[in-house]
Amino acid sequence: MLDRLVGLAMLAIACTVFLYYTIWTLLMPFVDDDHLLHSFFPPRVWAIRIPVILILLGTAVVGSFLGVVMIQSNRKKAAKAKAAKKA
Amino acid sequence: MTKAQQTISIGLLVASLYLVCLLGLVPFPAKIQEELIPVLPFWTIVSFGSYLLFKLGWGVLFFNDVPEAHKELMLQIDQARKELTAKGVDVD
Repeated sequence: MLDRLVGLAMLAIACTVFLYYTIWTLLMPFVDDDHLLHSFFPPRVWAIRIPVILILLGTAVVGSFLGVVMIQSNRKKAAKAKAAKKA
Repeated sequence: MTKAQQTISIGLLVASLYLVCLLGLVPFPAKIQEELIPVLPFWTIVSFGSYLLFKLGWGVLFFNDVPEAHKELMLQIDQARKELTAKGVDVD
């Protein structure tokens, strides 16, 4: 039951993000500046800043995770080699 | 032609077409050139990401439990573990 909710939430988020971002980047330039629709969207610079920031954050997180796992695995290998030498 | 070569050549083609549009070598209306073309790569990345998330969510939503396959998989994992340990491979 819970996983179906998670799946449904992922679907909803994906659709919302796609629609919002498409309207923001592809439709808003052609809407008059005094239309009501502009009140729903931040200035368009943020349409570029937010994905760039998220990509940089994502790369940093993935890179740190990779680094931590590699360091741990190296330490395990070194410990094992030491133990094998002693024995 | 390998799959990698194919993907790289399609990628290069799309990139060069986009570069031509970005550098103003194609006469677009001013509004499109200033506002629309610079955002296109970001729009494709965001749309691709949301498509992947959609596909994942759809799969999670409509994947039904398969208890027999689960049992069979657990048995195969145990079997593989025994065989590999017998041959001296380290399995945690």
